[in-house]
Amino acid sequence: MQDLLYFIQQLINGLTIGSTYALIAIGYTMVYGIIGMINFAHGEIYMIGAYTALIAITGLAALGIAWLPLILIVALVCAMIVSSSMGWAVERVAYRPVRGKHRLIPLISAIGMSIFLQNYVHLAQGSRNIGFPALIEGGFRFGAEDSFQTSISYMQVTIFVTTLVCMTILSLFISRSRIGRACRAVSQDLGMANLLGIDTNRIISATFVIGAALAAVAGLLLGMYYGSIDPLFGFIAGLKAFTAAVLGGIGSIPGAMLGGLILGVAESMTSGYLSGEYKDVVSFGLLILILLFKPTGLLGKPEVEKI
Amino acid sequence: MRTPVKKLVSAVATSIAVMGAGQAAAEIKIGIAGPMTGPVAQYGDMQFSGASMAIEQINANGGVMGEKLVGVEQDDVCDPKQAVTVANNMVNEGVRFVVGHLCSSSTQPASDIYEDEGILMVTPASTSPDITERGYELVFRTIGLDSMQGPVAANYLISQKPERVAVVHDKQQYGEGIATAVRDTLEEGGVEVAMFEGITAGAKDFSSLVTKLRQADVDYVYYGGYHPELGLILRQAQQADLDATFMGPEGVGNKDINTIAGDAAEGLLVTLPPSFDEKDENQELVQAFEEKGEDPSGPFVLTSYTAVQLIADGIEAAESTDPFDVAEALRAGTFQTPIGTVEYDGKGDMESFEFVVYEWHSDGSKTPVN
Repeated sequence: MQDLLYFIQQLINGLTIGSTYALIAIGYTMVYGIIGMINFAHGEIYMIGAYTALIAITGLAALGIAWLPLILIVALVCAMIVSSSMGWAVERVAYRPVRGKHRLIPLISAIGMSIFLQNYVHLAQGSRNIGFPALIEGGFRFGAEDSFQTSISYMQVTIFVTTLVCMTILSLFISRSRIGRACRAVSQDLGMANLLGIDTNRIISATFVIGAALAAVAGLLLGMYYGSIDPLFGFIAGLKAFTAAVLGGIGSIPGAMLGGLILGVAESMTSGYLSGEYKDVVSFGLLILILLFKPTGLLGKPEVEKI
Repeated sequence: MRTPVKKLVSAVATSIAVMGAGQAAAEIKIGIAGPMTGPVAQYGDMQFSGASMAIEQINANGGVMGEKLVGVEQDDVCDPKQAVTVANNMVNEGVRFVVGHLCSSSTQPASDIYEDEGILMVTPASTSPDITERGYELVFRTIGLDSMQGPVAANYLISQKPERVAVVHDKQQYGEGIATAVRDTLEEGGVEVAMFEGITAGAKDFSSLVTKLRQADVDYVYYGGYHPELGLILRQAQQADLDATFMGPEGVGNKDINTIAGDAAEGLLVTLPPSFDEKDENQELVQAFEEKGEDPSGPFVLTSYTAVQLIADGIEAAESTDPFDVAEALRAGTFQTPIGTVEYDGKGDMESFEFVVYEWHSDGSKTPVN
């Protein structure tokens, strides 16, 4: 019984972390799906989202506002607006001028952008870890009083539910809305979509903006969950999310969700049953295995050469 | 058009270089290498503030053998790769005495370069025993060793008669070294070490680790590493209702742990060098720091001050600015410093250095235990 509770606890830990990986992974996978590039500055967008949310929360606290839902909504909206504008700006500055050039050029300009944003935050906010207030506290617990209890915090529930809601909205948006349809058309064939009168520049900007907005959601959630942020924390989260995107099949939105969850659970099971030292070994090992045996990922479609 | 501009530029550059060289003759450069940025920059602040104060005061008293000391500050970000770059910069700057580095994992690779290039190094903070184990002539420290600090922590834990203890570390030279020392002493003392495990420095999610600690049902958790990770572990442990007391080395004893962990930092046990700033004989110095608006209470402020002072005393005792002569003088002499009487053994470690167990509070203050 106790072993089962322990297993469930690790599963919950993994699903929580995995769903935030999924939120960040969407940004990678959408951009890849449409222009076939990896946006290496995406982790930084996520980090900036977390900082913006913290600034908003601190500002509201200074104004004496203590009503939790209001704080969360304002922080979320601020983070999404700032991150989305960042996403848009990154596309304008680092991608559009070099689009259609050799594939390595936008890759390098994205890495440059990532270094620039990291250092900008270093300068603007200092390099120290900044504490993030735990706004949502408490939780449920299961199991006998005197032995191991499985606990699910309200924060974990919030993360999981928010991710599900975001994913559902995104799926509906992609499958039903006008821009969503245009996105799918552009991802199938950019040139053809252009000829048919779709403003492809606008659609590409839109994918950067959507990805950045979701990353901002993840930034706020993870900031509250972990309790501290620093200018470098976007980098490793970005790598993990990128792994999740590749694992699920880069370019596929359900794939990003699946990849994120698998990665999160794999990590937490590794630290739960083996040792925390092997956590990153397992996650990046999975990436290598997938690239070797199924380069298109779990849910990715095989690339068809367009002639 | 282009050639005259180039000529002008190179002429200016040459004259600057000549001016620089002219100045260098009448001064002794003291390199100060530590993290100005990055997650442990606040320890770097202590180091820079202590060392600069010593340089100022020595210069105000007429310098060393009539020459002024000049600080050359460089940022190693507590990153071993950057530390090597910094060490090479020091060589290029013509520095012959270095106060630094701070993190053991930076000090180790940098010291290889200093030893090869004949630069004397005094680290005010690196406690890894390996640093002085390699028979280097020019490596000194003004701090104790993990092999002294670990047993102090472990003996305190043994005295509390715990049933089970978990030892966690960050896999870095400092953290793992000290955690190993703690584990070994605990096992010798007959305490069951239920878990010995590494985490990744810079990680944010410790929910799995906390779950594992709850499962292992430990009374105490010893953490070898720095405050950013321990702060998060404390906070996530509190949220998951882990009922255990945490303990860490001086790398976690920093007010920043309170901004990360909040209330969860209450009751954390920390082994620290004794508070040198509370000693009567240092009150004048403490006042000098306060007048400058700096805080002398950090664990590495006065050790850094002492590092500069020892270099100055060593130069005077040797009557030479040759690092090898100074090293010999340091090994031979006995020096009165703000951290007490300093005598060196053959390896460059101090003959004695004390660590004290403190209890940390959620407002960033600390009280000695027992």
